[in-house]
Amino acid sequence: MSDVTMDTFAGAHAAPRAVVYNEKIVKKFIIAAMFWAIVAFLVGLVLALQLSWPAFNLGFSFTNFGRLRPVHTSGAIFAFGGSALFATSFHIVQRTCRARLFGGEALHNFIFWGYQFFIVMAALSYVMGYSQGQEYAEPEWHLDLFLTIVWVAYAIVFIGTVLMREEEHIYVANWFYMAFILTIAVLHLVNNAALPVSMYMAKSYSVYSGVQNALIQWWYGHNAVGFFLTAAFLGMMYYIIPKQAGRPIYSYRLSVVHFWSLVFMYIWAGPHHLHYTALPDWAQTLGMVFSVMLWMPSWGGMINGLMTLSGAWDKLRTDPALRFSVTAVGFYGMSTFEGPVMSIRSVNALAHYTDWVVGHVHSGALGWVAFISFGAIYYLVPVLWKRSGLYSTRLVAWHYWVATLGIVLYITALWVAGIMQGLMWRAYDQFGFLQYSFSESVNAVHPYYVIRALGGVFFLIGGLIMVYNLIMTVRSSTTEMRSSAAGA
Amino acid sequence: MEEVSSIVVGALVLILGVVGLVLASGALDSEIYVFGLSLAGFAVVFEIGLIRAHYDRKDAARSGGAGHHV
Repeated sequence: MSDVTMDTFAGAHAAPRAVVYNEKIVKKFIIAAMFWAIVAFLVGLVLALQLSWPAFNLGFSFTNFGRLRPVHTSGAIFAFGGSALFATSFHIVQRTCRARLFGGEALHNFIFWGYQFFIVMAALSYVMGYSQGQEYAEPEWHLDLFLTIVWVAYAIVFIGTVLMREEEHIYVANWFYMAFILTIAVLHLVNNAALPVSMYMAKSYSVYSGVQNALIQWWYGHNAVGFFLTAAFLGMMYYIIPKQAGRPIYSYRLSVVHFWSLVFMYIWAGPHHLHYTALPDWAQTLGMVFSVMLWMPSWGGMINGLMTLSGAWDKLRTDPALRFSVTAVGFYGMSTFEGPVMSIRSVNALAHYTDWVVGHVHSGALGWVAFISFGAIYYLVPVLWKRSGLYSTRLVAWHYWVATLGIVLYITALWVAGIMQGLMWRAYDQFGFLQYSFSESVNAVHPYYVIRALGGVFFLIGGLIMVYNLIMTVRSSTTEMRSSAAGA
Repeated sequence: MEEVSSIVVGALVLILGVVGLVLASGALDSEIYVFGLSLAGFAVVFEIGLIRAHYDRKDAARSGGAGHHV
């Protein structure tokens, strides 16, 4: 089987010539994305079971909730989401720039294997009990430095490809990916500035302390959401949905406005994680105001994604992979509505520290990030492996409905649990005493934790259906080879 | 481009491998010991892959076809 696609084209003043894309690296990242998806969903399910029935901690230090939780979050965000982003960014930048990836295969392979090595070593360090104790930035200094090297290599390859492009215009998806690459680099370097106890010890101390540490951490944390889980996946959306729908973007001008307004506003929103803390009020208010302002670019992007289907809505009936992508945009709109609402200080007083936040994060992570990735992978696998189509669209439909049911169970259970927790924690009796003890609120949410775990079971089953379908797509004789190469 | 890339990346990974061995040799906790040894192992396997890719390219150039390597 060929691992390359040749794209023949002629520029305005040039003779026709062929571009040989590096598709091997895209394929590797897609396989990694699916592998890590199953790992992340499985560990998430174990954690949900632990919260419902503590016996699932198994009595070992390396399987307790505190150590497995970062394995789940890093597995979902950086391993699954990151691999999906590497795959799609490398595919999209080559096709839209009509240029082979810059830097040579050795560098591309270093990015792939280096990133996988980082993921494995980070997960291993978590279960061994090593952590910086900062959410989404758990790896200690040595792992941070290694990731920096891999990330710089990624930036060189991606930006180098854009600079070497044969197309005059830089397609909007590439702008989103470049914002993601550059901003994540800055966030990673600044938030992880730390002094190791010794060069030969993993333990380190942040150069920031007190409320400055908290502010830097949530500037990082919220923009990990904004630029890793939003901007980059929007880049994916702006390529995959037009390809799946066979329609151009509804408004290219809106996509450019969407890009600049999103990247300008997102970077200020972090302080909304620190309402009612030692952070000065003006900084909290700044974070809240920018969060509310984010409604505009977020919904502009959602409308642009959905309206791209104008004239092609009928495809939703016949193409369940497109259904994933479009539903993802719906969840993007929903979670970017819910987020600003939760950032309003008076709402945050009820929501903060409750499971409403966990439900909100998962409506974005499962509904937006995972679904847009599933849509992209279902689109890319037949293209990259030169198959006539997917092995079974019926299985894609099953995956869609099972996963959607899982998300609905998950987020509705945690909405109820979270709001109930918030109300119980603030309830006073007629004498001015707290009406409920904390343990009573834990008991009250138990049924909803069980429903959440059930939602996780559904989502995991959906992922397994997808893996089976993709393996059969590549291996089955029913998805015979294409005779001609795929175009850009 | 492929050969230059292999040499530059090979040199970088070689340095990483040596750093891994240094970390493992002086490790004061299990995390740095495991990380250092793993980094050295990663470097060795990666370098072997680069060498294999180099000879695959030479074979492909000799036979006029595409080489098959990781």
